[in-house]
Amino acid sequence: MSASTAAAEPRTLAAPAGFVSDVVAITTRSIRGILREPELFIFALIIPVFFFIVQVGALGDLARTAMHIPSYAAFQLPISILFAAASTSGGNALVLDISNGYWDKLSVTPVRRSALVVGTLFGELFAVLGYSLALLIFGYIIGVRFAGNDLVGALGLLGLTLLFGVGFAAVSISVALATGSVRATQSTFIIFFPLLFLTPSALPRELMTGWFEKAVSVNPITYVVEAARSFLIGPINGGVIFKGALAAALFSALTFALTALAFRRRVRMG
Amino acid sequence: MAYTRRMATAIQASDLVRRFGEVEAVRGVSLEVAEGEIYGFLGPNGAGKSTIVRILTTLLQPTSGSGAVLGHDVVSEQTTVRRLIGVALQEAGLDPKQTGRELLTLQGKLYGLRGGVLAEQVREVTELVGLSDAIDRRIQTYSGGMKRRLDLASALLHRPRVLFLDEPTTGLDPLSRALIWDRIRELRERFGATIFLTTQYLEEADELADRVAIIDMGRIVRQGSPAALKAEVGADVIDVAVDERESGAARVAIEELQSSGELPKGELRGTETGYTLFVPDGPQNIAVLIRGLDRAGVRFGAVSVSRPTLDDVFLAATGGRMADAAERSTAGEERTPEPAGRSA
Repeated sequence: MSASTAAAEPRTLAAPAGFVSDVVAITTRSIRGILREPELFIFALIIPVFFFIVQVGALGDLARTAMHIPSYAAFQLPISILFAAASTSGGNALVLDISNGYWDKLSVTPVRRSALVVGTLFGELFAVLGYSLALLIFGYIIGVRFAGNDLVGALGLLGLTLLFGVGFAAVSISVALATGSVRATQSTFIIFFPLLFLTPSALPRELMTGWFEKAVSVNPITYVVEAARSFLIGPINGGVIFKGALAAALFSALTFALTALAFRRRVRMG
Repeated sequence: MAYTRRMATAIQASDLVRRFGEVEAVRGVSLEVAEGEIYGFLGPNGAGKSTIVRILTTLLQPTSGSGAVLGHDVVSEQTTVRRLIGVALQEAGLDPKQTGRELLTLQGKLYGLRGGVLAEQVREVTELVGLSDAIDRRIQTYSGGMKRRLDLASALLHRPRVLFLDEPTTGLDPLSRALIWDRIRELRERFGATIFLTTQYLEEADELADRVAIIDMGRIVRQGSPAALKAEVGADVIDVAVDERESGAARVAIEELQSSGELPKGELRGTETGYTLFVPDGPQNIAVLIRGLDRAGVRFGAVSVSRPTLDDVFLAATGGRMADAAERSTAGEERTPEPAGRSA
């Protein structure tokens, strides 16, 4: 293959690189960009940690007596982790590339353009992993432990968070691709509020009533929260975890479909 | 037999049209660039230069018409075209968080370069553009000129056979500009690459290009070697500055001089500052013109005579100066085409 290419085009050194190689190259660049802006990492953690401290401080005692939750910190930690996972900046990095012309520069190479998006998503997975680990360590320091086996708990919680986080990153990446607008991309953060707060974030679903309970029950993220939480407060229940994983997978499948549409639009627009 | 695809034509476009909504940015452009040629695409801001480059480099699809690079269609054979071309776009979009070397290495990998070849190419192009000392610094610390040179280097990594440079020196200081010019000449000499260069600078087209196409409002209005184009104007150029209030009187006086035979018949163009007259033997006729205007009682300002430049070619072809044409366009956007026949 490469021999015939060389024969037909005697002077260029370019050769097919392959999709995997393209994705590895773009992912490496994304991760490098994330590591070189540690301040973003700090900002992404400050709000979840602040929120966590305020919630636990205000409601911790009440939760123990009125809701019979022995450790409200363990109850709240998954919310903070999902909160941080939703603060990724994948779309922001991509929209900057689009607006400053770097996307075009990469697009005139023989790279498969889908690799540009997939590589950025992998970079986001790396960021989500970083946030989650940092918050788990924070939780460990203040005494939060996994309900069952530590390894199972850590892998389960991280896996679920990654699945949710990558789905969330895909939303901002879709907006970046579709609009090429920095402001629109940054404002996708807003959808996070209904998605993450119309959930049992402050109290268990059994204690909810009325329209709120109904809204919470139809929000797929509710099941992600409950599954994530079960790893920390128990009981570890296969059904709950399956529902959570399924909800996260469906959420991500939906946002990936959006990304694919936005991607096609971007490629057609040129 | 191995080189059956090799052709004398490096770049070819037939009747390219590109519309953005109501706006027709490119209005039927056809051109042919031979292998090894430096082809200058000269025109004011918003004339459609970048749109044509984006079409020929596969970034944008034409509304109609077709383009090919080394015989490969830019729409149906995108991947092949992308392997053959190197592109330095006008907006040197370079990720500021990477170092120069990281950017080049990533770029090289996307072209399928590996290991030793990749490292050697990075070294070679870095040296070629004179960035060896800065290559391990983050791009955010680079000056505008350095970014352009890095962008140029990244376009060369895979030894493209056809190089597209979209306004490679716009906004650069004269020193950086001269440096880029030297590199472009060197590229052709060393690698025999075909170079398609857009510019809004007359000197740049004049200095570098074997052939120039002058583009205005989405159309090629003249095409040829700079010398031939200037010869086509065929005359010296006399510029006379005239106050707006005297403009009518000046035109009458000059036309009288022409009809009486004192001044040879030649093209007379109104400009923003006065009139431009194309005549043979400028030094002789400038005296006739001054005497004639004086006699008619027309007050006038500076009068000068010069050999024709590409700007005069532009003026003769479009009826306007390049700088004025650029002013009329919205900065950074494609200019809305105006109906032909603007008043001078």
